[in-house]
Amino acid sequence: MASQYDRAITVFSPDGHLFQVEYAQEAVKKGSTVVGIRGTDIVVLGVEKKSVAKLQDERTVRKICALDDHVCMAFAGLTADARVVISRARVECQSHKLTVEDPVTVEYITRFIATLKQKYTQSNGRRPFGISALIVGFDDDGIPRLYQTDPSGTYHAWKANAIGRSAKTVREFLEKNYTEDAIANDSEAIKLAIRALLEVVQSGGKNIELAIIRRKQPLKMFSAKEIELQVNETGKEKEEAEKKKSKKTA
Amino acid sequence: MAATFFGEVVRAPCRAGTEDEEEEEEEGRRETPEDEEVRHQLARKREVRLLGRQTKTTLEVSLLEKYPCSKFIIAIGNNAVAFLSSFIMNSGVWEEVGCAKLWNEWCRTVDTTHLSPTEAFCVFYHLKSNPSVFGSCPRKNMQVTILTCRHVTDYKTSESTSSLHTPFLKALKTQNFREPPCCSLLEQPNIVHDLPAAVLSYCQVWKISAILYLCYTDVMKLDLITVEAFKPVLSSRSLRSLVKNIPQSTEILKKLMTTNEIQSNIYT
Repeated sequence: MASQYDRAITVFSPDGHLFQVEYAQEAVKKGSTVVGIRGTDIVVLGVEKKSVAKLQDERTVRKICALDDHVCMAFAGLTADARVVISRARVECQSHKLTVEDPVTVEYITRFIATLKQKYTQSNGRRPFGISALIVGFDDDGIPRLYQTDPSGTYHAWKANAIGRSAKTVREFLEKNYTEDAIANDSEAIKLAIRALLEVVQSGGKNIELAIIRRKQPLKMFSAKEIELQVNETGKEKEEAEKKKSKKTA
Repeated sequence: MAATFFGEVVRAPCRAGTEDEEEEEEEGRRETPEDEEVRHQLARKREVRLLGRQTKTTLEVSLLEKYPCSKFIIAIGNNAVAFLSSFIMNSGVWEEVGCAKLWNEWCRTVDTTHLSPTEAFCVFYHLKSNPSVFGSCPRKNMQVTILTCRHVTDYKTSESTSSLHTPFLKALKTQNFREPPCCSLLEQPNIVHDLPAAVLSYCQVWKISAILYLCYTDVMKLDLITVEAFKPVLSSRSLRSLVKNIPQSTEILKKLMTTNEIQSNIYT
């Protein structure tokens, strides 16, 4: 059945599927993992860095991009599609600022991106964008936000979420470990993001990239050293927790 | 009727055909002697050749019978091969005995007589310390293990696909296989395709004890998580004796991943 109705984007199958949109969601799973966490005073984005070829300049392979001073996003999926979406979003942010004299709210720019993606699921001759995005930031009211969009053009607000390869494993980890204590302060939220990523990232700290936004502050990308520090601290805490557990059982 | 990429509806080709088309086809079907000669040449080129390692001469099938065999393990697909080479071939010294080479129209080389070693379709190894672990002739007391991968979208189930934890392992065995498998059996209506199916069918017909371990994964290229999904197989009776050092194998696997990673920048 699928083979007859999956070639054109504008054709529904008899049981109501838009197969091209569903296949686009498979493309998202080919991208490396991205995790987003909304704390009380901080939002954290962690990504699994893809290893680059020897002769490739690392800086051109960026998964976390700022859309404006107070909003940033990370994506998983087709790199080229992400580039197009990001540049459209950045233009929209500036256009909004000039027209309305106010920076965009996180929800506004998420809705813009989602609407753009939805248009491509209803147009003749185009295919959907093969990316999912996690958009984080602070609004003027000081409330932290985390939104997720997917190729179908839907968007939802989340407390914590993961996209890309092994997203399900990370999401299950977050469901178990996202507690009020875990996001009590900024460093705890950062550690939670790192622990979530380490569930699926095989080679440890050197393949992780982290970015945070604090209230009224611009995007901060962690350096490799800072990430290594955080990963080591997380490792130590894990060892101590395991020692305590084994003492209890013994 | 079918919908094309751009949404327009086109008429699907009709299998019934029309009278005019039949006449034209008949004329084309009459073969000239040149066509026959080309066909013969192609058939010769496409023959599968078994080559001995040292001599690079053709390995006669009867020579293979020199190696009696108790266990035959075959891995199909890059993830299964990576698992086999890191976890099983890592322990003990495996000696290459020969390889099978073949050529067809999709190969990039035109020269069929001098295929390079990397173009071998299948390489045969045997364990130096225990040469009975290899062979290609069917023996009644031989046990065959087949490892392969398949994309999870081929897996048919009545459960919701979002509840599936990929990658996962399924087993399919012949009637003569008495051991309990290391994972659940493949349920209907799923079927096995291509070479693994051929090997399993052969074993079933010749009453050889065989088991196929099929890993359903959502990443078809070489992937650490997929290869590690084969780990339960190491606890099976036949393979347990072959596995020595698991942490070392994991390290070797990681190295294999980094050296083989295709630098594709399409997905980030």
